[in-house]
Amino acid sequence: MPATAALGLMDTLLLSERDISAEQRVLQCLAAWCYQYSHQVSIPTDRNGLLLEAGASERLFGPPEALGKRLEQELGKLGYHAIAGSAPTPEAAWLAAPEGLHICGSGHIRRHIGPLPLKRLHLDTTQQLAMKHMGFRRLQDLLRLPRRALTRRFGPGVSDYLDRLLGIRADPRALYRPPQSFASRLDLSAEITSSQALLFPLKRLLEELCGVLRGGDTAVQSVQIVLGHEDHEDTRLELGLQSPTQTTARLVTVLRERLEHLRLSRPVRDIRLQAPQLLKFSADQRSLFMDTPAEQQQGIEQLTERLQARLGRASVTGITGVEDHRPEYSWRPRALDEQVNCTALAHRPSWLLPRPKPCAIEDYEILAGPERIESGWWDGRDCRRDYFIVRDSHGSMLWAFHEYKPQQGWYLHGIFA
Amino acid sequence: MRARAMLRNSTINKLLSTTPQLWKGRRTNHAQPTLATGNSGLDAQLPGNGWPLGAVSELICAKPGLGEFSLLLPALARMSKQGQWIIMIDPPWIPYPASLHGHGLSLRQLLLVRTGREKESLWACEQALSNGRSGAVLAWPKRISFTHLRRLQLAAGSSGKLAFLFRPEQALTAASPAALRLQLEPDSQHGTRINILKCRGGRTPEPAYCMNELHLKEASATCAKKYTRHLLARHTLPTPGAESADPWTGQEWTSHCDQ
Repeated sequence: MPATAALGLMDTLLLSERDISAEQRVLQCLAAWCYQYSHQVSIPTDRNGLLLEAGASERLFGPPEALGKRLEQELGKLGYHAIAGSAPTPEAAWLAAPEGLHICGSGHIRRHIGPLPLKRLHLDTTQQLAMKHMGFRRLQDLLRLPRRALTRRFGPGVSDYLDRLLGIRADPRALYRPPQSFASRLDLSAEITSSQALLFPLKRLLEELCGVLRGGDTAVQSVQIVLGHEDHEDTRLELGLQSPTQTTARLVTVLRERLEHLRLSRPVRDIRLQAPQLLKFSADQRSLFMDTPAEQQQGIEQLTERLQARLGRASVTGITGVEDHRPEYSWRPRALDEQVNCTALAHRPSWLLPRPKPCAIEDYEILAGPERIESGWWDGRDCRRDYFIVRDSHGSMLWAFHEYKPQQGWYLHGIFA
Repeated sequence: MRARAMLRNSTINKLLSTTPQLWKGRRTNHAQPTLATGNSGLDAQLPGNGWPLGAVSELICAKPGLGEFSLLLPALARMSKQGQWIIMIDPPWIPYPASLHGHGLSLRQLLLVRTGREKESLWACEQALSNGRSGAVLAWPKRISFTHLRRLQLAAGSSGKLAFLFRPEQALTAASPAALRLQLEPDSQHGTRINILKCRGGRTPEPAYCMNELHLKEASATCAKKYTRHLLARHTLPTPGAESADPWTGQEWTSHCDQ
């Protein structure tokens, strides 16, 4: 039906141009996602659909019919409308899909797809027209004809196609290879203004990502999210994890914290999700006995991710020693995968004040000391100090020092808590 | 009749042995899982002979520097060596790595969380407590409501972690759902006196336990006091600007290495 006629029937009709390249992009994405169900996925270049080999994974996912149902459901969750059909040969499966047919055994192909009209066949229009003029209506009419007569009338292409359809001739396909990175995009049908409302579409994209990850046996450690606005620079978010994962739930926990703190200046029109680097995945071993160090490590990693997502990366750290005699330079924050390097000095206080605090020594009772620390002539922060353990009038045990260089005076520097 | 009484008795006994919240007045309840403090004197005073696991313990002292942290160190050191994590939420000062390492705490198992805001701090505390099944969480809340304490107590209960809250003196007058409340006071004879204000699973013991300048002993007590005094006498003591405010009011601390 031409567009004008359609508009004549219904004036509220919305017209949009077909975007072939976008369709191909989506097919590429879905092929990667389907890879979790079959190791043989093929994208036919001239049609809108995917071919999956379902026989090899029958024990895992059940008969092709069950797998088809599952694919339809899961793709529905991702926002796609899919219909599945199966048959012993790729071309027959292609014809079975729109009918929702599941044909098993190559002997039944003829019976099931025979009644289909000829225009469903994957033949070019001139051939179809010729067949129509000759009085063929259904596939079974064509199949009844002797093969030699068929070749004479329509050329070898048609007879080759029918051979592949019926499984008389092999039909090898170029197989899809999963990519080493992931990118997906979602154009929102309505603009989103609240950051909390982004969670739902983002969850869908993350689910798609995790499907791809499971398929390729890969994992991600960081995911980039780009929120597109109209006439404005994109908002960028990065979800970082402590260790590679392929579970949606873990990514969603981090995402939720990030969204809680996100202030959207403008409405969001589209969402892009990118994982530039897919890492090799090693499955976590679940232990029979609870509380192994490995499990605690996992627990702490997930906790760190959640805390860092909300508080910022620098707020959650470890601590390690630095080789310096001056106490204020003898520590630094540590990333959790970093090594610890520290000398042991049990006689020092457990807490250091953020910076030395001037004090009057008369207020304190000196209990022990001195311990001389003289260091730093090489970096311009040269100092010479005598450290003492002192007690104040409240009974608090403190660490004080008398500085000779660079500034004469008494300071408090630590607490024996 | 007698059979029924016996049956009832056995039900009571069963309840007593399985529920940490129930105990007979005179006896202590051992159903509460605990972790030895590493300090036999204190262990003897506590019901279950140690820090209660899966519960909040409060350490209340008017001023820091009474050994309140070194009281925990033996237990924390042991836990960290077993690969359990020690999580500190918003410590008011910088933990001195060399000293902690010297006391046997494995720095690899130490996690510091700095939020700088009260609300975030409590949130982080709750998250840390409900994550995982073992380890310890330490926090220094300036103000905390009963409801929040209760939430922390529940979070600790679900994970079986050790939770320590260092609280100021004002906390003494407020009610608390914590399983254990200790008050630390300076004592002219012994250094620090520990009063057990509340302990779940037993009566609060009298007299209080005294810590014998525990933390100082390990410190450089070898240095002779006399010598120190002598040395001091020779110097004219300078008095710097009269900044008598508390040195330990929570400041933002940053590493010098960052700069």
